[in-house]
Amino acid sequence: MDSISTSVARVGSRSRLTARVAALPGTDKALLALLFGAALLALVLGLVGGFVTALARAGALAFFPDDAYRLLTLHGVSVFFYWLYLIQAVLMLVLAAAENGRGLALRPLAWTGATLMLAGFGASEWISATGTPLLYDGSPELAADDPRSVGFFALGYLLLSAGLVASAVSGIATVLQPRLRGEASEFTSIGFALFAWAGFLVVSAIAATNAFLPGLLWSLGAGPFPADHGTEWHILFHNLHYLPLMATVLVWYVLSEQLTGVKSIHGARLSKIVFAAYLVFVPPTSLYHMFLEPNLSESVRVIGSLLSLFVSVPTLAAFAIIVSSLEASARAHGATGFFGWMRGLPWRNPAMANMGWAVVNMMLGITFAFVLIQEKLAPMLSDTFFVPGYFHFFAVGVLTQTFLAALMVILPALGGGTLWRPELLRCMPALVTIGLLVFGAAGIAAGFMGVPRRVFDIGYDGIAPAAWPVLMALVGIGATIFAIALSVSVYGVVRTMLSLRPSLEQAPVVDWRTGSRGVGAAPAWTGPLSVAALVAAMYVFTIVAFQLIQSSPIIAIGGGHGH
Amino acid sequence: MSERHFTTRRGFIAALGFSAVSLYGAWAAYGAAPLPFGGRKDAAPEPDAHGGHGAAAGMAPEEFRFEHDFFVQKYAQKDGSVNPHADADAHGGDAHGGHGHADAGHDHGAELTSVEPVDVYLMAQKFAYSPDVLRLKAGVPYRFRMMADDITHGASIQLGSASRIIRLRPNVVTEQSITFTKPGEYLVYCTVYCGQAHDAMHGRIIVG
Repeated sequence: MDSISTSVARVGSRSRLTARVAALPGTDKALLALLFGAALLALVLGLVGGFVTALARAGALAFFPDDAYRLLTLHGVSVFFYWLYLIQAVLMLVLAAAENGRGLALRPLAWTGATLMLAGFGASEWISATGTPLLYDGSPELAADDPRSVGFFALGYLLLSAGLVASAVSGIATVLQPRLRGEASEFTSIGFALFAWAGFLVVSAIAATNAFLPGLLWSLGAGPFPADHGTEWHILFHNLHYLPLMATVLVWYVLSEQLTGVKSIHGARLSKIVFAAYLVFVPPTSLYHMFLEPNLSESVRVIGSLLSLFVSVPTLAAFAIIVSSLEASARAHGATGFFGWMRGLPWRNPAMANMGWAVVNMMLGITFAFVLIQEKLAPMLSDTFFVPGYFHFFAVGVLTQTFLAALMVILPALGGGTLWRPELLRCMPALVTIGLLVFGAAGIAAGFMGVPRRVFDIGYDGIAPAAWPVLMALVGIGATIFAIALSVSVYGVVRTMLSLRPSLEQAPVVDWRTGSRGVGAAPAWTGPLSVAALVAAMYVFTIVAFQLIQSSPIIAIGGGHGH
Repeated sequence: MSERHFTTRRGFIAALGFSAVSLYGAWAAYGAAPLPFGGRKDAAPEPDAHGGHGAAAGMAPEEFRFEHDFFVQKYAQKDGSVNPHADADAHGGDAHGGHGHADAGHDHGAELTSVEPVDVYLMAQKFAYSPDVLRLKAGVPYRFRMMADDITHGASIQLGSASRIIRLRPNVVTEQSITFTKPGEYLVYCTVYCGQAHDAMHGRIIVG
């Protein structure tokens, strides 16, 4: 018996989250709508840039080198900085406002933050499209004879950073307000996570300022050439790509409650510890990005290698909490069968479909991330197409799909409209994942063979292996599939945002809040088995990589591989 | 709480977060674990006692440039390639061994009976390598000394089903001990974006 009793929520009923979003003051709604719109614009620009880049690498389009690298710059800047950070800022603000129940605190600061971020967005997009291509890390050494490009590029990120700080301070003040008013004695787990997330945004903004202010000063003739930009970038970059993962996990918490009524069965304290763990485990693990640096000391190499094993601790723990809570609650409602409980989840809701497939993509991404971070394997894989091959599982499959899921829940409440064609939207995450599987499989194979990640013409006068262009063509096919599917999702979200027609019909949710049986009494094996499968996959691909190294026709020591 | 199945208890859930740490076992099996237990050694066996480290200790950029220029001049071939065994080949020398370039002063390749690795110098600059074609021998250990002359580059070697990625920072001399175990023609290419003609930046290592 796989059915679950009393599982469907009443049509037209609003959850606490959507009711509070709907009740926000008009000025807050205007700010949030502005930021949601800007974030989606950044996603569209990044998606177009990435799609064209993939087609050019596949040989389907031809560009002059500078134009090709401008496209790549536009792709990285738009997606990695402006989509992921604008959407984080606005989700942090809207969730904080909903948590508070009375809208945003320090509203002028939140508006100032939005203005700064949008100014940064404009500056970055303009210089990426017209200046010396600097890729998304903006290395000044690429434009030592073009201070204007370096300066405007740095200015864009600095404005974004300043805006993030202002938004984060407003967000922190907002989640603190109930306590200051004496309406709450402690944070909820979501409130605590928002507090930590906002704090982490401030830390990242400081790291960004540390990385890019020297470039701006140099371009103005007010400072020396920023020769150590690479090191500062590594520190920033590590935080930059784990912060969206923390945001993703928080959104999963929120959406799980929204879509099923289930909160963690393990108590708020464990959730708070897990969110705090991001601050403990993420910053120290940044050393593994430097394994290829020729002057990295042996002690740093050993410590970095050891710490890298711990980078997934908070994410896997949060995953285990969510899955265990959902499974235990489903079983308390009578669900049986090893995995049968999952059929009770509201899969017809596009937000649920996006979240569910995001979890699948996370498993794939983590598997290969742990191959790359191995100190001895880094000299085979870093700087190759292995990197985009695996991180698109994260950037597209996990982060983007999760944030789109949040938009599918929040935007109808914010604007009072209706989710656009949920039956169509719910099919897209599977299609995105199919595209990512093709893209990732070909990209990862290409990376193992050494295809460089930032080269458009990989012919090398006919010396390159014949398999390289074939693999890049497959990458282009995979990119086409997931770009089309993602475009449909983005279009649906934009139509939802612009929708002004309220509807009583809402995307389906279930209510597993209370069960007839004791929650947690039945075994919940889905989480442990998923993690076991993940670790097994990590073992397999790590062994494959070691075997490839051992079978290669050289014996090499040193150069980022020392002992 | 005591009625809960162990799979739904907090301690078990928290422990799951640490699951990936168990990958240490796979690393240890290949001698790549960072701590002494499980054995910390190189994934590939070291052919000589020299070992290796990223940056070549003590070699200044100016010294590298001098040695590089000398290396290229001394071993330049008519076809434009550079062959550090040219002298020994001309005198019917042993194909194996070779004297460390730096250790031997400027008498490169003159004492090919030694087990010391043969020094090879590779300079990366926009948008080429110097030398761009190297002629080496299988089974001979080489001490590659490499440096980027202007901005950051890569000097990566394509090895069939795998590759060896090397990142070169400007004015930092990077050292690798490399022994090619099979003859063939290997592509050397830049894996760090370095500007407009980055795609064209490549060279060859021809191993006989």
